Amino acid sequence: MGLFKMLLSSLGLSSNSKKVRIVCVGLDNSGKTTIIAHLKPKKAVTQEIVPTVGFNVEEFQKSGLYFTIFDMSGQGRYRNLWEHYYKDVGGIIFCIDSTDALRMCVAKDELEQMLQHQDLRSVPLLFFANKMDLPTAKQPVECVSLLELDRITDKPWHIAASNALTGEGIDAGIAWLADQMQRAWRK
Amino acid sequence: MASAAAPATPADVASQGAQWVQSMRDAVSSMTKGEKKDEDESYSPFRGVEKSTVLQESRCFNDRELNPRKCITILTKILWLLSQGDKLSRLETTDIFFGVTKLLQNKDAQMRRLLYLMLKELKPSPEEVIIVCATLTKDMNSKIELNRGNAIRVLGAIIAATDPTLLAQIERHLKEALVDRNAFVAASALVSGIHLMSVNGEVVKRWVNEVQTALQSDNQSVQYHALALLNQIKRQDRLAVSKVVASLTRTPLKSPMAQCLLIRYARGVMEEQGAEQRDRALYDYLESALRHKSDMVIYEAATAICSLTGVTQRELAPAVTVLQLFLCSPKPSLRFAAVRTLNKVAMVHPLAVTPCNMDMEGLINDSNRSIATLAITTLLKTGSESGVERLMKQITSFMSEIADEFKIVVVDAIRAMCLKFPQKHRVLMTFLSNVLREEGGFQYKKAIVDTILVIIARVPEAKEAGLGHLCEFIEDCEFTLLSTQILHLIGVEGPSTGEPSKYIRFIYNRVVLENATVRASAISALAKFGIQLETLRPSVIVLLQRCLYDNDDEVRDRVTFFVALLKGLQEGRSGLGGLDGKTMLEPLPVPLEAIERSCREYMAIEGGTDEPFSLSAVTVDAEMLKRQMRTQAAAEKAASGGLSGFVTDEIVSPPASKLKSSEGEADLLSKLPQFVHVGQRFASSKPVALSETGTEYEVQCIKHVYASHLLLQFKLNNTLEDQLLEQVTIAVDLTNTPGLVLDSELKCESLPYGTPADCFVCLRRVEGVPVGSMACTLKYIVKDVEPGKEPDPSETGYDDQYNLEELELAAADFMKPLAVVDFREVWSTVGADAEVVETFSLTYPSLQAAMTEVVSFLGMQPCDGSEKIPDGSRTHTVLVSGLFLGGVQVFAIVNLRVDTPKAVGMRLTVRSADMAVSKFVAEAVA
Repeated sequence: MGLFKMLLSSLGLSSNSKKVRIVCVGLDNSGKTTIIAHLKPKKAVTQEIVPTVGFNVEEFQKSGLYFTIFDMSGQGRYRNLWEHYYKDVGGIIFCIDSTDALRMCVAKDELEQMLQHQDLRSVPLLFFANKMDLPTAKQPVECVSLLELDRITDKPWHIAASNALTGEGIDAGIAWLADQMQRAWRK
Repeated sequence: MASAAAPATPADVASQGAQWVQSMRDAVSSMTKGEKKDEDESYSPFRGVEKSTVLQESRCFNDRELNPRKCITILTKILWLLSQGDKLSRLETTDIFFGVTKLLQNKDAQMRRLLYLMLKELKPSPEEVIIVCATLTKDMNSKIELNRGNAIRVLGAIIAATDPTLLAQIERHLKEALVDRNAFVAASALVSGIHLMSVNGEVVKRWVNEVQTALQSDNQSVQYHALALLNQIKRQDRLAVSKVVASLTRTPLKSPMAQCLLIRYARGVMEEQGAEQRDRALYDYLESALRHKSDMVIYEAATAICSLTGVTQRELAPAVTVLQLFLCSPKPSLRFAAVRTLNKVAMVHPLAVTPCNMDMEGLINDSNRSIATLAITTLLKTGSESGVERLMKQITSFMSEIADEFKIVVVDAIRAMCLKFPQKHRVLMTFLSNVLREEGGFQYKKAIVDTILVIIARVPEAKEAGLGHLCEFIEDCEFTLLSTQILHLIGVEGPSTGEPSKYIRFIYNRVVLENATVRASAISALAKFGIQLETLRPSVIVLLQRCLYDNDDEVRDRVTFFVALLKGLQEGRSGLGGLDGKTMLEPLPVPLEAIERSCREYMAIEGGTDEPFSLSAVTVDAEMLKRQMRTQAAAEKAASGGLSGFVTDEIVSPPASKLKSSEGEADLLSKLPQFVHVGQRFASSKPVALSETGTEYEVQCIKHVYASHLLLQFKLNNTLEDQLLEQVTIAVDLTNTPGLVLDSELKCESLPYGTPADCFVCLRRVEGVPVGSMACTLKYIVKDVEPGKEPDPSETGYDDQYNLEELELAAADFMKPLAVVDFREVWSTVGADAEVVETFSLTYPSLQAAMTEVVSFLGMQPCDGSEKIPDGSRTHTVLVSGLFLGGVQVFAIVNLRVDTPKAVGMRLTVRSADMAVSKFVAEAVA
């Protein structure tokens, strides 16, 4: 970083928009990578999505912020690795497969474990109730009650219905997250 | 908005910048300071780097705005710490590893390179490391060559260390990389292949075609690695290797490194073919490589030819010629290499090296001492008789300049030379006595003394001169061991020389001036003169009588004995207590070791005995003789090896290292005065763990069985860094084993962290053979200590105890495996008087499992090769024999039969001389 830029940013005049780090978690096959693929510049979307091993990092600009998203693998044996990326994050995206009623309780377990983590105090939480295009999908309200989201009081949270294949609802959710983060800084 | 909304980021950046500037300033100032202080010493930028500070700093990996420059500094520091051998704990590794994975998002090329290195060096656990696989796979296809090559290397290392099956997933990428146009990428893939070969050879073997293509590459490094990998792939198949080598030797490789490798492989193939049917073409190839333009290849070929087994004089000639040219090379490394190889050749073919003698003489004054030493030793091996004087003169001027270890090499070479040219002993002896007077360490002095001893033994004319030199040496010798050795020699050889009386003075001087050990041996030497030479006897007696009031017991004892003996001889009696004077001069009829053991046994007889100890009662068992012969052979071998070897290391390896560990333990036991009364050890069990490894206190128990005692040796290890245990004892609960009572115990006074110690419990067998389990409890006083600091002496600590697992006493503990040669023969001799037959049904899945278990349960030795079960058989008979406590031989025949897939039927027939023993053994299995 050049000296001039440093000077500018210390005076708050930098034209560079702020960087935020987001961690995207959720059970396997809930659509995390697909959601992020939709957020990326268009050329990358055509690629076929395969189960993530470890994690992927994506960067893009949206709502006046530079996003760095850590797309974590949702497979059972990698879930305990999520917590290593909680430090200094701006927000969490939790992706729910709303057609998978059977594993909703697994998601709830993982969520509770995450909420207890000390690095995540007052970090905004964005839930995507994904796969809304399928007929068996549960409505966001049902997901809220199944995951007992109404019991979260110490963090701002929001649930958005989404269809990652078409991109429906994703931008709205991200906009909410961006807004929350900006508000947190203003405080 | 910006100024109001983002107070955190700019402030962070500003403070980071300030920190960075500050650290740079510090570094620069300390650098200049360091240079001022000491200009010769190179300054290390890492001085004062501490693990804890670096770990603290590494938190910036988590920053939202990454500062690559700062991260690079920290990464370098961590790598430096790792390379210095600093250990990171599991938790710290995990922290840094995840920090590093966050840096992977950054595009900074310099940092990325470090990150790859870091991922390889950090060695994170297999569960965590998987997280970077996706990123690395992506990098493997990136456009930047640097990333591609590095990612391949790191991924290869990760797969080799964790999960070889992952290889299948990236195989496609690796195959492409093998033939990549970029040399770095291709070489990386090849190197990964070499590493992966050992973990997942099947997959790597499929790459043969790609590797063959890589072998044709123009790049040196690619060609070199491709050849190495190709050899790895074909390694199992000797024919294939020789085919590859043969084909490649016809079309020379461009890379000198690959050429060297090929020479090595060619040599390997030639070695396998043997000296008779050696492939002429391969030798021609080696010879043609001698004319290569690279020095490296020439040298490699020359050494390959020189090291061939059974190489002929004629084959050697071209290689030696080339090495001779190297001897005059301006490069020290080439000179060293050449003279070293010639040195080796000189051991086997001294004549072949003779043409180089002129050149090597020039090297004696080489400024590099290693080269000079090698040159001299080679010359000593090849030199002619006429050149000895000249050579010795040169060496004398040079000896004072080299280190002890080189001097030893020279001395060894001189020994070899003296044996070769016995006429020259005068020159060599003078030289040795001169160097003996100079300063030097024990090893060096010992080498010289040994050499003189060997020369005296082999060259009779040199004896008087040699003894004279040695006598002078002990006048001023600081090494007790050497003094006693020389005194003994003088005692043996001195009386038969022309003028024995002159040695008396030297010996008596020792009696006056030296320590007790030397005094004692001087007395013995003196007495030998007195016994053998009647003329000197009166004076020797006078001298000895002066020592009667020596303050050392051993010296006094010897003097008293010898004075009595000599006086007896003087008066014409036949000596003392039937002892003839000559007996003292002859070596002992039995080995010292055996006498020592017999003495111990004699002392251990309970209640004492009236029978006097007699030498003729000393028994020598075959085992001990064999061991002694082995030691001697090893010593001789080492001595002869020392003649020819370049660097002589410890000449005689301690024979104890060859003993089994249980015998080592027994040796330890015999040193403990508390347990002398238990007598001769019968058997020792293998160590049994009484706590799991990794628990607070690790305890292992070894059961030593004696005639009427059972000695439990507990090996303790304290794994808590912050605790010091004192007064450690083991309480053994004997309620379940009524035949045993506590005899004594030896506690462990102090058990600090990380230093294993022993404590002992001695039990006496009152009746029967106790079998059962005993509950054990570790009792101790705990003191808290700070790790790495001296314990606070004022702290009193508190009592505590720790429950251990139960210790099992089984029949096998009282049994010693003992092989007999012809089982059937012995079986019928023992007879069926005390025979016990039992049948059992055991639940084992296979005959093998059942047999192993039964044999180990009985603790007996399978005989006549009966422990091998032919494949697919449904019945089997094992013959076992053993020695039961008290020396009763026990034999058993175990018939096994597969009843059902899960059960094995067994009939056990036990025979011995004692019905009670037979019964006990048979019931032990139940």
